[in-house]
Amino acid sequence: MIQKKICMLGGFAVGKTSLVAQYVTSMFSEKYLTTVGVKIDKKQVTVDGQDAQLMLWDIYGHDDYQAVPVSHLRGMSGYLLVVDGTRRATLETARLMQQKAVEAVGSVPFILLLNKYDLADEWEIDEQMFFKMAEQGWRVIRTSAKTGEGVEQAFETLTRAMLAGASAGPLIGQGLV
Amino acid sequence: MDDRADSGDPGPAADLEELRTLLLGPEQQQLADLQARLDDPEERAADVAEVLPRVFLQHSQDPRFTAALTPPIEKAITTSVQRNPKPLADALFPVMGPAIRKAVSAGLASMVESLNRTLEQAVSRRSLQWRLEAWRTGKSFAELVLIKTLLYRVEQVFLIERKSGLLLQHVSAAHAAVQDADMVSGMLTAIKDFVQDSFRVESSDSLEALKVGDLSVWIEPGPHAIVAAVIRGSAPASLRGRLQEAVESIHLQFGDVLESFTGDASALAGTQQTLETCLSAEYRADDTAPRSRSTWVIAGLVLLGILVWAGLRWRTAERWSSYLEALRAEPGIVVVASDRTWGGFTVSGLRDPLARDPQELLVDTGLPSDDVHGVWTPYYALDPILVAARAASALRPPPGVTLTVRDGVLSADGAVTLEWVAEAARLAPLVAGVTSLDAAGALSGQIQSLVDAIEGQTLLFISGAARLTSGQEVALGRLAEETRQLEQIAGVTGLRFRVEVVGHTDSDGIEAANVPLSQARADFVRVSIAPAATTFLEVVSRGEGSRQPAVMSENSVDKQRNRRVQITVTRRTGSGE
Repeated sequence: MIQKKICMLGGFAVGKTSLVAQYVTSMFSEKYLTTVGVKIDKKQVTVDGQDAQLMLWDIYGHDDYQAVPVSHLRGMSGYLLVVDGTRRATLETARLMQQKAVEAVGSVPFILLLNKYDLADEWEIDEQMFFKMAEQGWRVIRTSAKTGEGVEQAFETLTRAMLAGASAGPLIGQGLV
Repeated sequence: MDDRADSGDPGPAADLEELRTLLLGPEQQQLADLQARLDDPEERAADVAEVLPRVFLQHSQDPRFTAALTPPIEKAITTSVQRNPKPLADALFPVMGPAIRKAVSAGLASMVESLNRTLEQAVSRRSLQWRLEAWRTGKSFAELVLIKTLLYRVEQVFLIERKSGLLLQHVSAAHAAVQDADMVSGMLTAIKDFVQDSFRVESSDSLEALKVGDLSVWIEPGPHAIVAAVIRGSAPASLRGRLQEAVESIHLQFGDVLESFTGDASALAGTQQTLETCLSAEYRADDTAPRSRSTWVIAGLVLLGILVWAGLRWRTAERWSSYLEALRAEPGIVVVASDRTWGGFTVSGLRDPLARDPQELLVDTGLPSDDVHGVWTPYYALDPILVAARAASALRPPPGVTLTVRDGVLSADGAVTLEWVAEAARLAPLVAGVTSLDAAGALSGQIQSLVDAIEGQTLLFISGAARLTSGQEVALGRLAEETRQLEQIAGVTGLRFRVEVVGHTDSDGIEAANVPLSQARADFVRVSIAPAATTFLEVVSRGEGSRQPAVMSENSVDKQRNRRVQITVTRRTGSGE
């Protein structure tokens, strides 16, 4: 079976851990996040009839993107950038982290997850901004840790992209999903 | 040079030039071509490239060539390392490991040699055992010492992709507790990175081992993949070498696959065998098996020793108690106290000087006489045997006479003399444990034969008178002597006898005359044998006339046999009358 390392990146308290908690096999407690700075979970995905095993590196969310150790990013085949839709600042953090990821591993597929979609009323990020990001070639999926919306889809989309051509450069976004 | 000369005089010079061109035109062209070719670096490079391999092939043995090449190559390598050491390190990795290990093991071997010599001097019981085992198994002693002190098991071995931390291969020992290897693999990589990042170590250094209590994780990095072994117990340093060999052989075999790894580990299935050699290292439980066997042997020997010791102790205790029993059964010995100490045995009590020597009894029990200490106080025992022995030593009976004691009465059996009996009867009550001597018993044989002798005598008389026939005086004298002896015995033994002298006549004459005659004859004998008054004998006489003839006959010879005196002796009861 194909294995892929993917990372969960994003600022502090954007909901990375809660987002995947229900969808992965876990054996380490969350305290690893604050001690070692990373927690590793496992996720089985089947896309287009092909099985893949994702090793999910949930990296502790710093608002300071520089605090994320590069060593944790090495060897990843893709990543999920998580943004808290109710806090605009987290989008900027995600942008910087994306740059850092490119420095560390080059261009690999990634998806921006706009989290806390269930709190859409309080969102600080408007539609215009999504289009802007989509124009830059980013793929964006709206998710909710509370309802589970978009999570499986995010994994499948990322996996499909990674299997299709890990070497094919950045994933070209097709606008809002 | 010629060109410069031309510029001075054009006329003849031009002619000369033309002539030159005519004569040497093709050569000049060739020269120009050559010149151009030499001036063009590209062309020259192509020329040199063409001949250079040939030069290397043909002149590699030429020392000048080697000397010329060495400095630039050295410089190139130095520059390469200074700029980025990784490519060279990666390239050398598969060969460097074995080379270093070889050097290290050579160094260790000489160290082990000297260690061996040191240990040789320390001849302890354990080291002797190990030395024996070393000789038996063909291992060096120092190596065996190391093995002896170790006991470990490699439970799992991970092959992990270096960058992503993805698990490439995983093997585990039977019955080892295995968690999700994929996640462990990732977390192990994360922790390794975390340590490296947190403590800012040299990039060439990395986490080599984690240790928690009895469990440790040894990490052996390679350029593209890491081998991590989970070990329970304390593993020998040689295991590190085994891990290194595994990393190297995996990189040698699967280097390309590892380098282009994109998540599909199926091409690395072949690494399983190599990793299992690391597991099999822990299966050197064989090394511990003899040890546990020898432990059993030692335990068995100890147990056997204890049993033997207990058996010997029990046997000794048995012997001791049987000795005490023999002592108690021995007349003249009274055991008052006995004690067993680590040094031996002590027994104390009373002992008659005539009793057996306690040391003699020891010989029968088998106890070593040095181990037994006896404290004996002398006393007079009243055991019949000892009383008899004491009496024998005091009364000195004639040879052949044995003394026995019963209820305080001493009896003598054998040929005693009257004198001895008389003396013994006097002294016997003085011997402790003897109240009296049974003199009558001792002399009963003599008394009987004396009485028989007296009663067996018949004294014959002449017809009609109380006078002996001729020749009967001797018999009368003997009777007198025997009577005197009887008197003596009676005196010694306290027995009392009645001696009855009875006179007889033949049938001639009338009875009125015969009775007085027989009385006279009896009186005659009575006075002859007991002239004085006797103390212990009662001597009486009686005449029976012709009423009790010895033979009924009228023949003159037979009549003479009837004219007689006979004596009967009877024992009187109620002595001292």
